[in-house]
Amino acid sequence: MKSEILYPGAFPMVRVELSAGETIKAESGAMVASSPTIDVESKMEGGFLGALSRKFLTGEKFFFQTLRASRGPGEVLLAPTVPGEIVVMELDGVNEYLVQKDGFLAGAETVKIDSQMQSLGRGLLGGEGFFILKLSGKGTLILNSFGAIHRIDLKPGQEYIVDNSHLVAWSATTSYNVERAAAGWVASFTSGEGFVCRFQGPGVVYIQSRNPGGFGHWIRQFIPVSE
Amino acid sequence: MDPNALCFGGDFPATGLPCHVEVIPAGITVRFGDESSDTKDGAEAVPFDQLSLSAGGLNHDQLVVRYGSEADARVLYVNNPAVIHALRAAAPNVATGDLEAAASMVRRKRHTQRLSWIAAGMLILSLGLVLWFGSDLAVNLAVDRIPVEWERQLGETAYRDFLGRHTVVKEGPAVDAVQEMTRRLTDQIPGDPYRFEVSVVRSDAVNAFALPGGYVVVFTGLLRKAESGEEVAGVLSHEFNHVLQRHGLERVVKQVGLMTVLSILFGDQQGLIGLTKQISGELLTLKFGRAQETEADLTGLQLLRRAKIDSSGLVRFFERMAEQQHEPIEMLSTHPMSAARVERLNAEAKALPKQTVEPFTFDWNRVQGSLDVSR
Repeated sequence: MKSEILYPGAFPMVRVELSAGETIKAESGAMVASSPTIDVESKMEGGFLGALSRKFLTGEKFFFQTLRASRGPGEVLLAPTVPGEIVVMELDGVNEYLVQKDGFLAGAETVKIDSQMQSLGRGLLGGEGFFILKLSGKGTLILNSFGAIHRIDLKPGQEYIVDNSHLVAWSATTSYNVERAAAGWVASFTSGEGFVCRFQGPGVVYIQSRNPGGFGHWIRQFIPVSE
Repeated sequence: MDPNALCFGGDFPATGLPCHVEVIPAGITVRFGDESSDTKDGAEAVPFDQLSLSAGGLNHDQLVVRYGSEADARVLYVNNPAVIHALRAAAPNVATGDLEAAASMVRRKRHTQRLSWIAAGMLILSLGLVLWFGSDLAVNLAVDRIPVEWERQLGETAYRDFLGRHTVVKEGPAVDAVQEMTRRLTDQIPGDPYRFEVSVVRSDAVNAFALPGGYVVVFTGLLRKAESGEEVAGVLSHEFNHVLQRHGLERVVKQVGLMTVLSILFGDQQGLIGLTKQISGELLTLKFGRAQETEADLTGLQLLRRAKIDSSGLVRFFERMAEQQHEPIEMLSTHPMSAARVERLNAEAKALPKQTVEPFTFDWNRVQGSLDVSR
């Protein structure tokens, strides 16, 4: 499997070349175009209950689509729903990533996807919801973000603070605690940050340069209200 | 040789360098594969006494192994169950002491996490129960916060609207009689915030109703059906008490929903004004609940006694209504009578001490006669 990001920036698309018989899992609705040799199958990853739990618990789509090069090699073009960058990474079988529910775009068949429940405090305040995706296994993994993706490298014990809801993915070796942005409750909210996540390395943290919730809030004022 | 751990430290990449950890009798070996720059032979042996073990990662599900000097510190993250198990089995107590402490710390954390989920679940459940059973309380709290002035506006809109569409008896013995009853009753309401206004409306309906704010309508059908002034006064007393207990408002608040209740509680009373128009139409078809009827019955009885009006009139009238339950009398549709209700009223009346009665100044037969003449 070879992948290439087309039109990097706000409206990128990813081209994935599949050799004969190869498959790729993608978020439902992610396919933009494909060679005629590619078949689209819908698959409930993790069986019906797994799909159900993913749908209701993480808010991810119920079905993943599986794109299979069943009639010879070909290519597929994939794109996320929201404007924002795409990042392609290789899972080596040891590194595991936790991804917020909208961050997954596509992955090789060998990439394993699980829903994971967060602790109550992180779920309530972390901005990712109570359930996140845990991606492990080996192979290509494609993530998408809202805005640009920025990678933060953390050495063992190194800390970094990220505003909640800017998170895309982070290594399983990092850990984070949710805390107030400022020392006082009032200052935390009047500063507009509310809660932040204090990450501790080692590992990497991928963040997105725009906050989907904040954008939704901003755009609401321009939507005409029908009487 | 598949990597089963990640090694961090020095100039290793931030994602960690995949490595293979193996447990040997004296310690562990770490093998980095070919591309490792730091180790020449590709394998590094570390004795147990140089290892420090702890738990790490997002859910503390990774075994963290530290070794090496300050300048060349290495941190291994292992989440492979086989390796963790082998380490626990082979390592001497000095090293596993830390590990056991770390493991029990993880168990404690998971335990607290489970407990917090259970607590949250129970909180949500109890909140639901409170909302379910406490909605009456919330309604009452909200009703208490609505000023009488608004209640009056609310009722007046519906009242004027109703009178505009019906024939009002403006004068005559019937109106005088109703005015006298009203005066006798309202004189006995201490600190009355309402200005009761009673209109006699020409209709065959045997009914009377009260709107929030003290607007009461009596139909001529009821006056005709009543055998004495005391019976009508009884019904009026009952209706006045619906107003005094703010029953109409309670129903309205219940109908417009809990969200309104909450918004009133939290200060957004403007929202209610917006609803006034919509509600005023519904006010006329408002039905009171059984508990509200009973309350109005009993407080109505007490008001009659304070006004020195024979309270057996109320009981008698309701008794007759209850007997005619199966006849299409309008009063019964908004005031469902039952033998039980009359019985309770009767028992309540009997329990009260004997009352002194002051008769009305009007002649009831003349009042009823005037209804026929002016027709």
